[in-house]
Amino acid sequence: MANIFPRWSNLLPLKIALCVLSVAAGVMLAFSYYATPKSLVVGYQPSQPMPFSHKIHVDQVGMDCRYCHSFVDVAGHSNVPSGNTCWNCHQHVQKESPKLAALRKSMDPAFPGYDGKPVEWVRIHKAPDYVKFNHSAHVNRGMSCQSCHGRVDQMETVFQDQNLSMGWCLDCHRNPEQNVRPLEEVYNLKYDAAQYIKDHPEEMAAMNVKTPEDLGLKLKEQFKLAPKTTCATCHH
Amino acid sequence: MSKRTWNHPAVPADETTVAWRSTGQLEDTTEFRHWLEREFPQGAAEMADGEDAEVSRRSFLKLMGASTALAGLGMAACRRPERYIVPYAKAPEWVIPGNAVYYASSMPRSQGATPLVVTSFEGRPTKLAPNHLHPEADGTDAFAQASVLDLYAPSRSRHVLKGGKKAAKADFEPVLAALAAEPAAKIGFLVGCDDSPTRARLRKELSAKYGAAKFYQYEPLVGEAAAALGDGVRLVADFAKADRILSLDCDFAGTDPQGPVAPFFERRKPEGKGYEAKPDADKMNRLYSVETAYTLTGGMADHRLRMAPSQVLNAAAQIARGIISNLDLVSSIPLLTDDNQMKWFKGVIDDLMAHKGRCLVLAGSRQPAAVHHVALAMNLALGNIGEGKPLVAVKTETTGLGSLATLVADINSGAVETLVTLTPANPLHDALPGLMFGEAFAKLKTSIHLGSRADATAHAATWHLPAAHYLESWSDTRSSLGTYTVVQPMILPLYPAAVSEFELLLALLSEKGELLTGEGAKGEPSPAYTAVRTTFGALAGEGEESWKKLLRNGFHEGSAYPLVVPKLATTTADEIAAAKAVAPTVGSLEIVFATDASVYDGRWIDNGWLQEAPDPVSKLTWDNAALVAPKTAKELGIYDLIIDPEPVTKVLGIEGKYGKVSPDGEGENRRAPMIAVTVNGRTLEIPVLISFGQAENTLVIPLGYGQGFDEEDELKRGPRKASHVGLVGINRGFDAYPLRDAKSPYFATGGKVEKTGKVYSVALTQEHSAMYGRALAREVSTMTHTTILHEEETFEQQLAKVKLQGNDAHAPPNISLYKQKGSAKWNPTKDGKAPDFLTDELHQWAMSIDLSACMGCNACLVACQAENNIPIVGKQQVAKGREMHWIRMDRYYATQKDNTVDADNPAFVPQPVACLQCELAPCETVCPVNATVHTEDGLNAMAYNRCIGTRYCANNCPYKTRRFNFFDYNKRNPLVAHNLYKGPLGEKTVGEAVHLQRNPNVTVRMRGVMEKCTYCVQRLKDSVIRQKRGQKQEALVAGKPSTEMEVTTATLRIPVDSVKTACQDACPAGAIAFGNLLDQEKSTMGRAKQLERCYDLLNYIGTRPRTSYLARVKNPNKEMPDAPYIGKATINMV
Repeated sequence: MANIFPRWSNLLPLKIALCVLSVAAGVMLAFSYYATPKSLVVGYQPSQPMPFSHKIHVDQVGMDCRYCHSFVDVAGHSNVPSGNTCWNCHQHVQKESPKLAALRKSMDPAFPGYDGKPVEWVRIHKAPDYVKFNHSAHVNRGMSCQSCHGRVDQMETVFQDQNLSMGWCLDCHRNPEQNVRPLEEVYNLKYDAAQYIKDHPEEMAAMNVKTPEDLGLKLKEQFKLAPKTTCATCHH
Repeated sequence: MSKRTWNHPAVPADETTVAWRSTGQLEDTTEFRHWLEREFPQGAAEMADGEDAEVSRRSFLKLMGASTALAGLGMAACRRPERYIVPYAKAPEWVIPGNAVYYASSMPRSQGATPLVVTSFEGRPTKLAPNHLHPEADGTDAFAQASVLDLYAPSRSRHVLKGGKKAAKADFEPVLAALAAEPAAKIGFLVGCDDSPTRARLRKELSAKYGAAKFYQYEPLVGEAAAALGDGVRLVADFAKADRILSLDCDFAGTDPQGPVAPFFERRKPEGKGYEAKPDADKMNRLYSVETAYTLTGGMADHRLRMAPSQVLNAAAQIARGIISNLDLVSSIPLLTDDNQMKWFKGVIDDLMAHKGRCLVLAGSRQPAAVHHVALAMNLALGNIGEGKPLVAVKTETTGLGSLATLVADINSGAVETLVTLTPANPLHDALPGLMFGEAFAKLKTSIHLGSRADATAHAATWHLPAAHYLESWSDTRSSLGTYTVVQPMILPLYPAAVSEFELLLALLSEKGELLTGEGAKGEPSPAYTAVRTTFGALAGEGEESWKKLLRNGFHEGSAYPLVVPKLATTTADEIAAAKAVAPTVGSLEIVFATDASVYDGRWIDNGWLQEAPDPVSKLTWDNAALVAPKTAKELGIYDLIIDPEPVTKVLGIEGKYGKVSPDGEGENRRAPMIAVTVNGRTLEIPVLISFGQAENTLVIPLGYGQGFDEEDELKRGPRKASHVGLVGINRGFDAYPLRDAKSPYFATGGKVEKTGKVYSVALTQEHSAMYGRALAREVSTMTHTTILHEEETFEQQLAKVKLQGNDAHAPPNISLYKQKGSAKWNPTKDGKAPDFLTDELHQWAMSIDLSACMGCNACLVACQAENNIPIVGKQQVAKGREMHWIRMDRYYATQKDNTVDADNPAFVPQPVACLQCELAPCETVCPVNATVHTEDGLNAMAYNRCIGTRYCANNCPYKTRRFNFFDYNKRNPLVAHNLYKGPLGEKTVGEAVHLQRNPNVTVRMRGVMEKCTYCVQRLKDSVIRQKRGQKQEALVAGKPSTEMEVTTATLRIPVDSVKTACQDACPAGAIAFGNLLDQEKSTMGRAKQLERCYDLLNYIGTRPRTSYLARVKNPNKEMPDAPYIGKATINMV
């Protein structure tokens, strides 16, 4: 009796198993990449109730971060501005623009459909509830907004620039010299360490600083930066 | 490697101290041994319990598996949900999102207001702390700490009731308008016993408007002192000036305050308040206490005498004979003859006479007027009263007010037809039965009740209005010495129907009777604000500046009550003669109606924190029980029932006494036998517990319980008055109010006890978390003692030996085999070596707890609960040993084997134990997921989000300070019957407001997570970060670029003693000192650590705890018969 199965089929089960395994592994890999903070949240750019442009306000008008995020250096939370902060200017500027409808609904009693309720901004940067991140602890010690939020001054619509994962936090907590800068430059999103050294030749020479790496190490030492890495630093 | 078991060495044969936590331990029951050896009793870690078994682990897993699979199908959970940031439209002033704002306010109370600082997050008051600026600054007690929960309580009354049924506020308004339009109304006002200047002012205005208006005041437990001193006169003690104190049944440190008590505790420390001086016994005060059952004050006493309450008068008279000159005053009181007692009295008399003008005789408020007369006579004879003396008599503004008895008479005579009830008491429940208040109340044409609970009075009244909490309303009050103290609202009333007392009174005063609540009319300041400001204006002058100062500081300086000179009335001798009573016997017991440490007079019955806080003495939670001395219990034949309530078990169908452990473990099966107490012709069935150190032939029953029952009641008492209480207070305890009599409101003679054969489950925590160990709590005496080896030991020598007590004398210092290093492989330093632990050069946190000051109240425990979002777990869970309190209050009794004076009067030794933050923590080494690790600044941190709930850490903790969330107590309401066992199907926490109390800086833990004290790490982080912000300020001030700025340790280290843990802040005794070890002796804690009496708990096991204890110092009088046995209560647990 002839063989029902040809010879080549002997290896078929093995091949099938291999294929299934590699497909499964591929799916696993794809999913775990998909589920990492890096891919999950970096670039998250939801549409907001108002098309607020940081580029116009910071880059063109030249406003400081702290005009709106006024409590960033005194509180753990960096506040999103209350309606009246926006209204300070916008009751005079561009008041009739349809883009401001949501604000006028909240602030302008003369506006049809006024309800006095606050604007609901969509949250972009979100640390889990069990993480206690404190803005004031960072911006007052030479950590810039830009290190975590990116070049917000260049963003028409804000998106998440960094992945904000625990590993990412720890990278900086272990080596803060990568990101530390002089306190005066914390809110300067255009800061470039090399340029700063060029612009302050005498001071830098006195500090024996030649490269951006030197500057980071020098500032770390001078500010006595010793960021902690144990759990209770952020989790309590 | 085999598991190493620590074998504690045998207690030396010469040890004379016998110490115990509970009757069970004293009798060495199997139940207690289990508590000692295990973390939880047998079976406590299992889920099913009897009728809840239908939700088995298996079906639960099935259900969860299915729901997880379904949820996974859509992959919806993989993208995060959209969340919103909602900023204010118009930002309120001073509010910085995420930062707390602190306001000065106060809690009005009958014995004088408690000045407070309120922590408020975005307009939510979350935590109360004492206001240390106040001239009568004191700590806070458990009641004050827990009062913030009442604001958010689900059981809070939030609707207007008409005849006990829900009605609208609009229905009530016409009634008020009609009343306001009728100045001839026969109206009466029943107010509480706290003093409020604005109330006093409005009273005058109401009298002017309503010609027939009458005013009464009532709270059930304020006592009879005023009857002796005169209307509105009160004695206030200044403990700083008192070298010797005699307490005649006066719990001045606990439930019967006589003035700020903090100075008393300062003088319990031989080194002074801040441990700055050398230990000096002469600077300590000495407390003599005559009392019935142990109170917190009695526990602090250097010499304590047990006496039935009716016999306290005899003791007072006996002491008075040696002090006063007019002996006729007490000639009617029989002489005492007991030899030891006479020696005791002589010692007290000589000591008081040697400290004329520097001592205090305090009579308990609940003692009859006769005792107050005798105490007053003694204080006058000793020259203790007057300005600059330890006692002052002040004249309060609560004068000219009728009592409940006159109110009943006026209602019956028709002089009062409308009654406005404003008192925080619940007279329909707690009035003396003989007054027939209920009957009189029913005769009223209209009764308007304002209260925060829909209690018995609310249901009986024609109208009930929900009261605004004191954190929601404008008011003012006075502290014990009369300092004007403001009550500021932190938030608008949570419920629109809520009305404050002044709002109601002002509506009556207005022409149209318009009830303006909360913010008041548009564009105008709220009426209550205006009223308080008017009162203050008359006191301190109009103007913004003084008003703003008042709001900032919380009080107005120099506004104390005027002093008066009290005199003995001429009829005093007759009154004293009338008060004498014969001593109780077993057949004719004396029943004491005691103030409860959890519910006070019953007003806190719906406060879960207080209900779950174990009674400081009996350690009973969620109920009350009758307490009886062991000897009396034996004579009554109930002792065997109490200690072994269910002795008969069944094996193979045959009943018999096979073992003392009930079939499936102990914990939740714990029962106390019920007895029937008959007194004044009425009977109450109540469970009974043994109470050590109680006077024989007395029975102590705490008041305030038993206010409402439903179908779930264990004794099938319900449904009865179920709507009078909320989920917390339902089915709780036994109501002793009906046993009272007008002749003897606070104790009664002639009580009889019978066995009933019934049992009742009790959730007692006295055996929970029992530790093995030598010299857990240590005690020394200022008196030279003779040791067992006949050696004299002076105070100094005893102090020097504190560190050697127990096992520490012969245990060699521990040398760790392990280097205190990190990993060279995973976390190397720059040069590739292993890093040191504890690397923080700025802060190393540590704590010291002074047992010499700690009295064992629950203020720290409740404060911790408020600060750290600790849930309550309910009675059944407490019985299983699952209470969540991070700081527990251990309470030991200790007596001397050779005590021949009164062996049944053991020492009372409290010891608070929270996580001790061991440097070599046994818990950290066993955690499989590194969820508990050491921080650089010396904390033993808990990462809740990492914890997987293996409970290895708790198993390995020698101090038993870790707590495990067996259920989702925060989400699933543990008070709904069987709710916890329904898992995801269970009812969620009832009430929309409870979560508003939560501290936003502390993670709310979920099911399956271990938790414990972390020295309020959120406060530490906050203070350190705040200090770091200063760097920028310095740069700005220096005017130099930041690259040239100098950052030093001083820039980054927080100022000495500038951060306080919640327990430390709340402690009225100043027993807890916390700080930075690197501040060394600059900080109070640093100085405490250097004292000779500082020791580590279980030092010999080598955990190197950061919390250390200071041994308790007793200051006995060597002339007293019991002096040789005082100051030796060092606790060994074997």
